[in-house]
Amino acid sequence: MAMSWLRRVTGRFPSVVIARRNISRARTRSLLAAAAIMIGVVAIGAIGAGGAAFKESQLDRIQEQGATNVYVSPGFDKEDRYFDRTDLMRIDETVGGAGIVATESRSMEYRVRSNRQRSLSVTYLDDPRRLHEVAVGEIPANWRRSAVVSSEFAAEYDLEPGDRIVLAPETDEGETAEFRAYRVTAVLAETQAFGVDQVYLPIEATGDRRYGQVRITTESVEEAEAAAAALREEFNGRKDTLIVFELTSLVRLFKSIVNGINVFLAGLGSLSLLVAGVSIANTMLMSVTKRREEIGVLRAVGYSKVDILRILLVEATLLGAIGAAIGIALALLVVLAANAIFLGSPFAFTSGSILYLVGAVAFGIGTSLVAGAYPAWRAANERPVEALRG
Amino acid sequence: MAPEPNEDDGRWQEAGDHATSETIPTDAIIRGTDVVKEYETGGQIVRALKGVDFGIAPADFVAVVGPSGSGKSTLLNLLGLLDVATSGDVRLRGRDVSTFTDRERTRKRKETIGFVFQSFYLIPTLTALENVEMPRMLDRTPTKTRQRARQLLERVGLGDRLDHYPDELSGGQKQRVAIARSLINDPDIVLADEPTGNLDRDTGDRILELFDELRRDENVAVVTVTHDDYVAEAADRVVTLIDGRIRETESRRANFEEGPDP
Repeated sequence: MAMSWLRRVTGRFPSVVIARRNISRARTRSLLAAAAIMIGVVAIGAIGAGGAAFKESQLDRIQEQGATNVYVSPGFDKEDRYFDRTDLMRIDETVGGAGIVATESRSMEYRVRSNRQRSLSVTYLDDPRRLHEVAVGEIPANWRRSAVVSSEFAAEYDLEPGDRIVLAPETDEGETAEFRAYRVTAVLAETQAFGVDQVYLPIEATGDRRYGQVRITTESVEEAEAAAAALREEFNGRKDTLIVFELTSLVRLFKSIVNGINVFLAGLGSLSLLVAGVSIANTMLMSVTKRREEIGVLRAVGYSKVDILRILLVEATLLGAIGAAIGIALALLVVLAANAIFLGSPFAFTSGSILYLVGAVAFGIGTSLVAGAYPAWRAANERPVEALRG
Repeated sequence: MAPEPNEDDGRWQEAGDHATSETIPTDAIIRGTDVVKEYETGGQIVRALKGVDFGIAPADFVAVVGPSGSGKSTLLNLLGLLDVATSGDVRLRGRDVSTFTDRERTRKRKETIGFVFQSFYLIPTLTALENVEMPRMLDRTPTKTRQRARQLLERVGLGDRLDHYPDELSGGQKQRVAIARSLINDPDIVLADEPTGNLDRDTGDRILELFDELRRDENVAVVTVTHDDYVAEAADRVVTLIDGRIRETESRRANFEEGPDP
């Protein structure tokens, strides 16, 4: 009963049965050809899908690091190279509900010891808490004199709240720097975010309340884009009074770079499939040459050219399918690992990585089909009289 | 038309001779008139058949003999619709073969002709049963095909070897499988190219007996090309080809008709 059922099923696909038998006839040769396809599929699948996971993880990080922010600085056409209170109010009005933080960055000399100095970047602003979290210490409500330092800076120079740091504005050659001591009132929490300066001072300390940069914080990438667009429309009609910089454009750039690299690497992977195609073609060519008489007999007993073509193409495709099946299993292992490393869960497949995996299988099988076409065509067009001439 | 008196029964004649097509039986499955076949080899045109007439009637047993290069295989290829004549008229059941497309010829070949080869040409990856089924494997009638294949293998005496692979069979057994295969599509003619050439005398005898039985039971004509005189002796008619022409046709039809079991 079971046998006859199986026969009825396989009887439906006789070309597959014949092809499978033929493949198992020259087992080593078939396995080698399938292995070539397997390598190609692993290369494309693992590189492509692994790269997709990497891209996703980096995008997540960029998002964390403030792709929801828009940065504005004075444009080339702005008379003053800084923002004053009036400018800030206009910017604030333009972006509506988004929070704005104005900052001024300057280089200063930091006296590490009496005989050693280094220059560092200092950010002046109204309230560091609007940008970063405080880990140790406290920023007084009326912050006018003390300094806030990053956790990195504190660790490097062994600082804690209550210590003093000595800073001077950067001077030209020959001038004497006017050093001034600031008491450290707070140390910021550690963060991965980008744009964390080492030392923060109150804006009053600049003496002129001029700001070099404004940061606009929004809730989402879309809002950030909308805010940036509104600012450009309001301020940069005829003249460029603002330089608007949003990380979303950076995200776009990053995406296109990573995609480019990924496609390039997957392209290298598909080169290996090309080699695999040559191997399949060679295997099939040897196989049809060896089976010349047998194919002649098939033609003699009533198999048409199309029948022969189909049987041989099924055979080539089957070789490719075997290789692709093993290849995709191996590629999946690699991608599971990449997912675990980059995205935290082995099953965090992105749509991009699934596309690469499916594409690798399709490409692998397609390559075999194309590679099998010439040998199959040649065998099908051989005159049975010639083939059977012993 | 009044048949001209003739020594042999007139089905095999040299072209241009007296008494030609009229004597070829009207019930011929396949018949040829003034058939010429030319090949091109190495830039030279070789005339393999220089105008022959032939006709095969149901249940005929015809042996074609002659030295090598005399055109025997060419004739067999034309009969088997594996090749088309350069000139002359070949008709399968009255239809001009030269008008067939490759596809039509393939289909007619499948319906009408069975092949048996000197080197058997069994497919080594298929069992005896599957080899017999092979010509019908693409027909999607697996149950019917299997029934018929089993029946044929039993008919040729290999009912106990159904699942053996070719390399597990002796030469005679392989040729029996090949004969069963040639009959799977219920052909009208079986073409056998040196069917006993690779077999010893005893085995060859049994194959010839099998042919005799088959054409009686299955009503199939057998045309064999052979070097062996004893094969020719078993035939109703012997056609001698020399240098692309029929030299001599010898009829022994009486032998068969007086046989033990008509």
